[in-house]
Amino acid sequence: MIAVAAGTNRIDPYLIPALDGVAYGLLVFVAASGLVFCFGVANILNLAHGLLYAIGGYTAAALLDGGWASLGLALAVGVLAAAAAGVLLAGLLTPVAAGNHLSQALLTFGVALAGGSLLVAGFGPDNPQVRVPAALEGSVMVAGHRYAAYRLVFIVVAAVLALALYLVVRRTRAGMLVRAAVDDPEMVACLGVSPARIRAGVLAAAGALAGAAGVLGAPIIGPGTGTADTVLLLSLVVVVLGGLGSMAGTLLAALAIGEIQTLGVALLPSAAPFLLFAAMAAVLAVRARGLAGRWRPA
Amino acid sequence: MPLTTPWRSRALTAALLAAVLTTSSACGDDAPGTSAGGSIKIGLLASLSGTYQAVGTEIRDGFQLYLDTHDGKLGGRQVDLIVADEGNGAQTAVPAATKLLKQDRVSALTGIVGGGSVAGVTPVLNETKVPLVGSNGRPELKDVSRVWHTSYLSDEPGAAIAQHVRDNVKGSVYAIGPDYQGGWDELRGFTDAFGKIGGKLANADGKTTFTPFPATTNFLPYFARIKASGAAAVYTFYAGSAAVDFVKQYAQSEIKDIPLYAAGFLTEGGVLNAQGEAARDIYSVLNYSPDLDNAENRAFVAAWKAKHDGSPTTYALASYDAAAVLDRAIGAAGSNPTPEAINTAIGQLGQIASPRGTWQFSTTTHSPVQKWYLRQVRQDGRALSNTVVGDLATVGR
Repeated sequence: MIAVAAGTNRIDPYLIPALDGVAYGLLVFVAASGLVFCFGVANILNLAHGLLYAIGGYTAAALLDGGWASLGLALAVGVLAAAAAGVLLAGLLTPVAAGNHLSQALLTFGVALAGGSLLVAGFGPDNPQVRVPAALEGSVMVAGHRYAAYRLVFIVVAAVLALALYLVVRRTRAGMLVRAAVDDPEMVACLGVSPARIRAGVLAAAGALAGAAGVLGAPIIGPGTGTADTVLLLSLVVVVLGGLGSMAGTLLAALAIGEIQTLGVALLPSAAPFLLFAAMAAVLAVRARGLAGRWRPA
Repeated sequence: MPLTTPWRSRALTAALLAAVLTTSSACGDDAPGTSAGGSIKIGLLASLSGTYQAVGTEIRDGFQLYLDTHDGKLGGRQVDLIVADEGNGAQTAVPAATKLLKQDRVSALTGIVGGGSVAGVTPVLNETKVPLVGSNGRPELKDVSRVWHTSYLSDEPGAAIAQHVRDNVKGSVYAIGPDYQGGWDELRGFTDAFGKIGGKLANADGKTTFTPFPATTNFLPYFARIKASGAAAVYTFYAGSAAVDFVKQYAQSEIKDIPLYAAGFLTEGGVLNAQGEAARDIYSVLNYSPDLDNAENRAFVAAWKAKHDGSPTTYALASYDAAAVLDRAIGAAGSNPTPEAINTAIGQLGQIASPRGTWQFSTTTHSPVQKWYLRQVRQDGRALSNTVVGDLATVGR
């Protein structure tokens, strides 16, 4: 391998980890936004959120065959399946009093365990292979470094998803209701919007987001027996770091997690096992409300 | 049976054999028409569920293949094979082994995927005085008087390939592996041997980089450090899904042109299919490859392919060899093949002909003294496969 002249300066070796941190962070953002949405808007603590991501991931592994059409199909099926699972969860949660987090946590955790076992029973205990479209299988040169093409494209797609999410919350009637429900849930109920419908809608939307993240993120956080736990854990760390208040906080927290997990590991490999939780503890100690304020788009 | 055996011992063995025969006749459906030599119960413990299911299945199938190709007999006796599930580790393995040893009263135990499971089962073996011919996991053990392994010690692959890497790599080598006992042993085997012959590690502090296990799924940050270190080659050990992640990300990373050397498990069995094209050209060291050119191996591979898709792995081979060891040991144990007699006979086997080439048990560790092979992932017909490109050291102590 020919040494590139730029390889001699001090920042250069960390360019790729920093870029990869953005890809990882955006994936965590799309995956976690559903959980933040559920918790912040509908006041539902959904510990089965990781399961929704895993459904998307397994769908991707089962349907992707290296062509573009299969990617579209997997995305559609994964989003619908995870959204349907979200609605099912909303149905199961109906008897549980709103805001009773312990009962919600127990119920959704049970669903996560049962659902995880069903996925393993259906798809086997091995981590299935995910085949991205052939055009994205290779690598491209970024500022003199080789980087996986899929991850580069993923950054663009995830950024578009994040922007779309912002516009939906900001500009649509559904988004307005969601924002209103955060500010004053009683007033929204007085307007004649059923809380059950909001709950089902929010869980379906959260499922759709997690499903989309699961399909598109399968080559990065692949489906397997530990996937649901990994994604749930990362999403909960996003809640701790970013708070429940704003999309900006969620995005900031997700990107911070991405950079800690890549750039942080590259800088301090010996601290890799506890870097993320050290950062979480530091944020909790300094600013218990998270990095940003209430849930507002921007 | 030698005439010098004391009467008490013979009476005991006869009583034990009678016990074995009466219990096996209770479930005689499995072994109808036992031959003149009588039948014998063998227990096979392997992970048939959980994380290591793939390895456990290979181990069961390897042993079964030997039985199928030898009329279901070991040492001239019809075998009543009792299979039990090891699960994920000692927690499930010990109860399963206890049932095999105390309730089923097997004459010998084989299989066992995890090193932790072996460590957990050993006390029960010593209590029941039954030998274990293990075919995979081999932890550090103080007392190996009843423990034999047809596999290898974890630090042997690295030790076997060190000289080759030293001779063929012009520059320093970056060592990286997973942060758990197996990873430490595998990497220590390489770095110790490599350091002794003057090899230099490219790692910043001269020590192996260990990645959190199983938490690490993204290896790109480590690849950036390897790139920055200026390493001329990389040596690693990963298995299972971590091996798939490592290899796929390596092939798309900026260090894709740096030669990758590994303990054979990085590209062995099912993981190679999952890695696909990304695994091409990787060098690995292992005690077996399905394309080895000897008569035993040709027969073994042909018999395997007649029953299964794809080629046999080192896991299946080790279990096949465990059956071969038991075959000869039971035959040599005389008319009363008690567990004790089988154990003694295993120690006197000498050279064992095997698809991997001839090997023998080390007298100190009770694991094989065997030749290791350098393999490279190359095209073989339509699929990629580990192809032998050379012989490495004979290792064992």
